[in-house]
Amino acid sequence: MKMILWCFGLLMSLVVSANDLAVDEIVQRANLASFYAGDDGRAEARMLIEDAKGNKQMRQFVILRNDLSEGGEQQFLVVFSRPSDVKDTVFLVHKKVAADDDRWLYLPALDLEKRIAASDNRTSFVGSDFFYEDVSGRNPAADQHQLVGQDETHYHLASVPKDPTLVEFARYTMKIDRQTFLPMLIEYHDAHDRIYRRVEVLAVDAVQGHPTVMQSKVSNLQTGGHTLLQFRGPRYDLGMEESVFTTRSLRNPPRTWLKAQ
Amino acid sequence: MNPERLTHLVLHHPKKIFIGLVLLTVLTAAMMPLIQVDTDPENMLPENQAQRVFHNQVKARFNLSDLIVVGAVNRSEQGIFNPQSLQALLTVANQIEAIEGVIAHDLMALSHVDNITQQGPGTIRFEWLMKQAPVDQPAAVAIAEQVARLPLLQNTMVSEDLKAASIYVPIADKNESHRIATEIQTIIAGVGSTDEYHITGLPVAEDTFGYQMFIQMGISAPLAGLMIFVLMWVFFRNLKFIAAPMVVAMATVIIIMGTMIGMGYTVHIMSSMIAIFLMPIAVVDSIHILSEFVENYEADEDRETVIGQVLNNLFKPMLFTSLTSSVGFFSLLLTPIPPVQIFGAFVGMGILLAFVLTLVFVPAYLAVLKPAALQSLRDIHHSRSGLLKGVKRLGQFSLTHSKAMVLLFLVLLAISVLGVLRIQINDNPVRWFKAEHPIRVADRVLNEHFAGTYDAYLVLESDRQSHQQQFMSQLADGSAAEQEMTQLLQRNPDFTAALTAWLFWAEDQLFAADDAGVAELEPLMVAAEQTLADIAAFKQPANLAYVERLQQALQDSGLVGKSNSLADVVKTVYRELMGGAASDFRLPPTAAGVAQALLQYQSSHRPHDLWHFVSQDHSSSLIWVQLTSGDNQDMSLVVNHMDQFLADNPPPAGVSVAWAGKTFLNKVWQEEMVMGMGMSLVSAFVVVFVMMVVLFRSLLFGVLAMLPLTLTIAFIYGLIGWVGKDYDMPIAVLSALTLGLSVDFAIHFLQRARDLYQETNDFKQTMQLMFEEPAAAISKNAVVIAIGFTPLLLAPLVPYITVGFFLATIMAVSALVTLMMLPALLKILVRWAFGVQR
Repeated sequence: MKMILWCFGLLMSLVVSANDLAVDEIVQRANLASFYAGDDGRAEARMLIEDAKGNKQMRQFVILRNDLSEGGEQQFLVVFSRPSDVKDTVFLVHKKVAADDDRWLYLPALDLEKRIAASDNRTSFVGSDFFYEDVSGRNPAADQHQLVGQDETHYHLASVPKDPTLVEFARYTMKIDRQTFLPMLIEYHDAHDRIYRRVEVLAVDAVQGHPTVMQSKVSNLQTGGHTLLQFRGPRYDLGMEESVFTTRSLRNPPRTWLKAQ
Repeated sequence: MNPERLTHLVLHHPKKIFIGLVLLTVLTAAMMPLIQVDTDPENMLPENQAQRVFHNQVKARFNLSDLIVVGAVNRSEQGIFNPQSLQALLTVANQIEAIEGVIAHDLMALSHVDNITQQGPGTIRFEWLMKQAPVDQPAAVAIAEQVARLPLLQNTMVSEDLKAASIYVPIADKNESHRIATEIQTIIAGVGSTDEYHITGLPVAEDTFGYQMFIQMGISAPLAGLMIFVLMWVFFRNLKFIAAPMVVAMATVIIIMGTMIGMGYTVHIMSSMIAIFLMPIAVVDSIHILSEFVENYEADEDRETVIGQVLNNLFKPMLFTSLTSSVGFFSLLLTPIPPVQIFGAFVGMGILLAFVLTLVFVPAYLAVLKPAALQSLRDIHHSRSGLLKGVKRLGQFSLTHSKAMVLLFLVLLAISVLGVLRIQINDNPVRWFKAEHPIRVADRVLNEHFAGTYDAYLVLESDRQSHQQQFMSQLADGSAAEQEMTQLLQRNPDFTAALTAWLFWAEDQLFAADDAGVAELEPLMVAAEQTLADIAAFKQPANLAYVERLQQALQDSGLVGKSNSLADVVKTVYRELMGGAASDFRLPPTAAGVAQALLQYQSSHRPHDLWHFVSQDHSSSLIWVQLTSGDNQDMSLVVNHMDQFLADNPPPAGVSVAWAGKTFLNKVWQEEMVMGMGMSLVSAFVVVFVMMVVLFRSLLFGVLAMLPLTLTIAFIYGLIGWVGKDYDMPIAVLSALTLGLSVDFAIHFLQRARDLYQETNDFKQTMQLMFEEPAAAISKNAVVIAIGFTPLLLAPLVPYITVGFFLATIMAVSALVTLMMLPALLKILVRWAFGVQR
């Protein structure tokens, strides 16, 4: 099924490359390309958080993902390995489309399992310049999208939030690769229409046929800091069971899946 | 230099002198538009002063900006927590965020901070505290209840009585604070809230001060010129005649200010007073020349001869009074406060310049005046003013009661010394404004409600060096690992940043290849991780517990409104993680527990807030101390209290504790000022004394010359002590320079008394003659200087008023003391002073 969809997508992109794709379709495919490659996936990730003065921090974790439906609900398990004092800290997320996500947290030093409720998903992901939402994916239906232009390589989109009270941006623009449908550059504008945040894809590899972001960067233009996110050894369609993504994994992370595949 | 030759030269080249003076004045005046005002009290310390350097390191390390504090007060029953007030506060905060120069991401307001709460059992909730204003009263009260659970906000952002809320506005450049404060005012006016809004904070005070300094310079200096002009007219009643000293005064001020600005010195609060200091001093020599000229001038006489004679008589006393006055100012160079040094140097040079200009310009000018213009002068020297009658009676009185006078002076001195011992050394830049100034009002109101708008920082640092050395020693010389580390350190000398980047590199190596050489990296990586953990001292519960104890000690001092620290952050997050019970408001048991709690804090909308309290490598931590008073005295008490605590409770091994922050720096320069002024005073005293001994070629006369001003200065400072006026910056500066000014009276008195005694050989007759013309000239000079400084009383800023008031008082008192004390002493000491029997 996946394969058929993929081929269909490829075909579509060839067919419609001359004329315009509907903006909703672009957004939909960008969403799929960014967050739904394969039926499940696994990657080792590391972050280098650097502030304006060159201070550096790192985060290293394994991220496991399982899609319940294409473009719909997903499950994530994030297990930290560095820095050493947060080793084995675990995040579990059951991503919903129509409702708030379910989120859990396990802190090994306090042997504490906790459910997290958040009013919005635009909080920092463990102190980096990435937002929680940048990692798990923002619901495309939350914004009103408009195709404002295109060139040989990219679609240019401008988006405004449907409910501006839930987010800190007034609008954002995206440059989406016409081939891979990966958003290569996203820029967020504040209420005074200043660009204050930039998300860039720096490297893309084809992994098992899926164009996969290997390196991306978020810059906070207000603080002057940025975070580099690198993936290593991404693998798709591993056949991970749903049981991997239950609260039982908080205290007992699935060691087999954490190891390089 | 030979005065006769000089006179000859001057009288025969008036045109050249006039042109030269005009050229010099125009040239220096042309530099004035380059003026740069500097109102930063930090510049009271040299740029490389250790505590100032540390303060700026701390500011950089913890991303601290200068803060403007905006406070909203609602005195009604429900206080600030009502929907309307909060809506207004939110609107104001949102608009302030957009002002150019405001560091938006560090803005602190109820609408801009995060909240962490319990949402049902086992669930915590992260959200903006007040993204939208509450719709009804219960919702408003709910926000108040939330704040009460957040120790970082309570009493900082919301007052304990719930009547007031504040917005902390961080700004990128403190020199912009007046503009930003003005824009904030416009925003507040536009919102139209019924709540009282106040704006304060040291940067606003400083920048507004600079703004008003210009006004002061625009008002006081011309007024002083006008005042002196009027006085001169009263004395000489001839406009053309008194034009000469006015030209000297103006030219001196313009040349000195122009040169100072042209040399790139900023105009600081001290140097903004240069004009007003120079003007009266510059005309003093002219007054002597003109008085003497009037006394001796007869229309039929050869004017050149008269001028030559006058200059010959006055050259020596004028030279010495100019030298002593300038010594008084030059002595300020010994005070390690750059603005005071610049002030002293340029006023000192100005006095010497005025002396030269007086010698060169005034005679040349008198020489070219038409005889008709001097017609009216002949009547003047016979007129006797009421001033002189009073002076005469005074002299008579002290001569008849000489012993009683001396006793009186001794008693006065004793009382003064007691007063000096009571002096309170204190200053506060906010108090440089008058009590009714909006900044003072805001300061009062906000410090009544909140834990304090004055900031100081207690900074803890742990030793990184040993950990760094230990890791570096494990890298084999010439190995790839060592080369990489060296390169990284060259790019960014910060060791932990380099080590973090090195770990990334090592991991890449490990991943890319698996030959044996690379396998050596693995133990090094373990060591690197251990090193990073070791350096992170402020993840250790024991160290955080010490931070807690420091905070308790600060609170115990009774002078600290509140302190905020990393320990507060950790405890708040830990409490919420553990279920929110008050009993869980404590530190986690392990470093990993601290790290994991902090990881949660960082998963907020404002993760960067953490770095205000701890450096990114967790090797250094900061306690933000809020004081309700910016008085140096109070800061000193807190510092002393903490010194005692630190002595009794030394920090954990490897941890050092030091102060930073604006309020602390103000205390530091205040102390340096007091010490430096002591040095200046002592050295000025010694130098002037030596000069006096040389001038009079007599130790006794040297001592006599110093006595009136010694009593005067003791008296004035005794008065300050008894009245309870704080010994602040302007008062401190006065001591050394008044010494140089007030010795003039004694020089003239003693020199003339000696000359007259030589002529008359009779002490009684000498004293009689002394209280004719010489005493008149001395009083005139005292009046000119004293009154010349009074326009400072009209200044909008307190330090100028203080300087004006005390200088006028010192001049008046020291002239009075000179005229009363010296006759009495001379009478008693006549045998030694004049070498004869009474």
